[in-house]
Amino acid sequence: MLRRTGQSVVVLAGVSVIVFALVHLVPGDPIRLALGTRFSQETYDALRERSGLDQPLVEQFFSWAGAALTGDLGVSFRSGETVTSLIAERLPATLTLAFASILVALLIAVPLGTLSALRPRSLVDRGATVLSQIGISVPEFWMAIVLILVFAGTLGWLPSGGYVPLTEDPLGWAQRLLMPALVTGVVSGSVITRFVRSSVLEALGADHVRTAQAKGLPTRQVFTWHVLRNALLPLVTVTGVQLAYLLSGVVVVEIVFAWPGLGQLALQAVQARDYPVLQGAILLFAVVFLVINLVVDLLYTAIDPRIRR
Amino acid sequence: MVGRQDDVSRPPEVTVRASRPLALAAAGALALTACGGGGESVDTGGGGGGGGGGNTLVAAVSAQPDQLDPHKTSAYPSFQVLENVYDTLVVPNAEDLTMEPSLAEDWETSEDGLTWTFTLRDGVTFHDGSEFDSADVVYSYNRIIDEELQNAYRFANVASVEAPDPRTVVITLSQPTPNLLERIGAFKGMAILPEGAADQVDLTTEAVGTGPFTLESSDATSTVLAPYEDHWGGAPNVEGVEFRYITEPAAALTALQNGEVQWTDNIPPQQIESLEGDDAVELATTPSVDYWYMSMNYARPPFDNRDVRRAISFAVDRAAVAEAAWFGAAQPNQTAIPEDSFFYNDYAPFEHDPDQATQLLEQAGVSTPLTMGLMVTDEFPETVTAAQVIAGQLEEVGITVNIETLDFATWLDRQGQGDYDAFLLGWLGNLDPAAYYQEQHVTGGANNYQKYSNPEVDRLLQQGAAETDEDARKEIYDQAAQLIVDDVSYLYLYNPDVVQAWVPGLSGYQIRADKAINFEDVELP
Repeated sequence: MLRRTGQSVVVLAGVSVIVFALVHLVPGDPIRLALGTRFSQETYDALRERSGLDQPLVEQFFSWAGAALTGDLGVSFRSGETVTSLIAERLPATLTLAFASILVALLIAVPLGTLSALRPRSLVDRGATVLSQIGISVPEFWMAIVLILVFAGTLGWLPSGGYVPLTEDPLGWAQRLLMPALVTGVVSGSVITRFVRSSVLEALGADHVRTAQAKGLPTRQVFTWHVLRNALLPLVTVTGVQLAYLLSGVVVVEIVFAWPGLGQLALQAVQARDYPVLQGAILLFAVVFLVINLVVDLLYTAIDPRIRR
Repeated sequence: MVGRQDDVSRPPEVTVRASRPLALAAAGALALTACGGGGESVDTGGGGGGGGGGNTLVAAVSAQPDQLDPHKTSAYPSFQVLENVYDTLVVPNAEDLTMEPSLAEDWETSEDGLTWTFTLRDGVTFHDGSEFDSADVVYSYNRIIDEELQNAYRFANVASVEAPDPRTVVITLSQPTPNLLERIGAFKGMAILPEGAADQVDLTTEAVGTGPFTLESSDATSTVLAPYEDHWGGAPNVEGVEFRYITEPAAALTALQNGEVQWTDNIPPQQIESLEGDDAVELATTPSVDYWYMSMNYARPPFDNRDVRRAISFAVDRAAVAEAAWFGAAQPNQTAIPEDSFFYNDYAPFEHDPDQATQLLEQAGVSTPLTMGLMVTDEFPETVTAAQVIAGQLEEVGITVNIETLDFATWLDRQGQGDYDAFLLGWLGNLDPAAYYQEQHVTGGANNYQKYSNPEVDRLLQQGAAETDEDARKEIYDQAAQLIVDDVSYLYLYNPDVVQAWVPGLSGYQIRADKAINFEDVELP
């Protein structure tokens, strides 16, 4: 555990160097983007100085990295607000959507994947294959817009988008969460369904399952103790990957549903070449991946005692 | 260049842009379900975003303000909000955009045009309760000048700003500047703050103005304004305004149709025609003072050849370009300025004529097929659409257009380096020709990226910038504009319409050519 944490710190340090270098290497001048196009040279120089961009790159890196160690990620070129406050403002919406989407995904994937595996080549199996194929290939923005036009437009059952905190208006929160969570959940769920199907199939064919069946254990028990538990390992991995992806922001869905998540923030930062925000967001995504990997590994040892040393 | 004369550098529809495939797919989805959209008004509990109250106007705008310091921002979404919170000394009239009194009641110009004396309005208070006087004007203007903020260039000719008494401000100029009022009043970037405001509050997130609304809150979902009861022009009629950010136009329109919002300027262009006959939505359009154009690089032969540029100008069918980019909600124009403007010049020498184009190319000794790079940016999707149409039209005369779609940051880099054959872009919010002709076409001008140089044009532009008689000034700019068009320094394409929509029965709101959004007098049905 301690060693893993140590490794994570090294990885983060490496990531911060790479992130900083990449962000600054991308062509484009943040000052020109911030000023629009009508400004004087003096204005340009003054803003460049205020932003610290007139310093040598190495110096910029160390002052950024040094401050980052104390939790200070700098100030946005574009808005003048601190990067931490910009991220904190959007974190609740991103967490909400990511976990709701994973819930939707698992609710779809586990029953559907398991049923298909138990009855391979049946109608259920074929249906599930077709559905997950559709879920993967239908573009998210198309699905999102169709949902809005039908449920907010024609039927008028749901608001077209936006976000309210759970604490302020629980019903409004749920109404606004439903459509975006469904879209991202269906996409993730389609991916996960396939993993569930194949890992359950594989577990079903394993020797110990045959043994268990041969010694007359009830089917339900065989399935719960010998099949599902083994099939859980790949499921945890793929769910972790999907969650990490969802936590780093789902740009298209956020834009269409006016969902104020990190994806929109990162996209705006890329477009404006807002280095501090971009660095902060990428660093956060790196931390998310590291943490999720750690959790997945810990879950592994909990599910499969053989992995423990 | 995109940039406004009042420097709002991004049109509303693109600040957080939806990628192009997204926009196209949206169109497809709309077509699929168009039959279902009866537009009945259903209340879906839309007021949850923090506005509250039945008499709050909810306006769907396409993006979040980048920040709220009027002296530092250059983004249109910020000015949509700031327009309602801050005031300037003078302000463009809603009908014809001429300057009229606001915080200044009256002004006089000295004989030599170098001294402007403003008499300030009495009984004006800031949102913090303090009284407005001349020291606030001096502080605000000097903040912009001394700290070299966004709009410092607007004070290029200003030698000093002084306050001889609390009701008087004197601006002294280094050279006559007939468009001084446009410079200090064209938009809220020249807002008046209370003296010392920058040291007392964080202006990036808070606001202390004299406008009809106070800033209540601003987050990643919406910006909320409350009425300022002591406003000098009278308190607003609504209990508040909520600017809600809805980037996707199809979603914004749906929100308007089902009653979640009462006003939006984020309309899918392809929907404009069908909305005109829709009783559930009040649609308004007016020609804007924005223009979009093509610019060719004089440093890259054969585009230094006037005949080649003229050939291309004859080969482009502006009406078809406007139709494709705006579904008809744009007026083709061969000069910069729309018909309603005082400075409009009815000059259109380039009738679409491929034969003449071919002839001119032959005359120039250019062997076809000629390959031309055309640089556009997905930051402004209309340039991408326009480029595709232009490419088709130029193909007819033997010019193969190689469309390069770049992100805006890269685009600006390449423009700055002169690394292009031609590009498409727009200038937004053009009120005075000194701003929209001078820098773009004068030899060595800051925005003369194409490197155009015509001594006669230079002379006329210098003369126009200092001429104080309005009619004589128009005459000078008319002459300059004709030379600019004939030489094809810019190949002007069209002026897009301002398109906005609201719920039927909403009153007291006026759509404006400069795209300023003012909710001071608005009343809900």
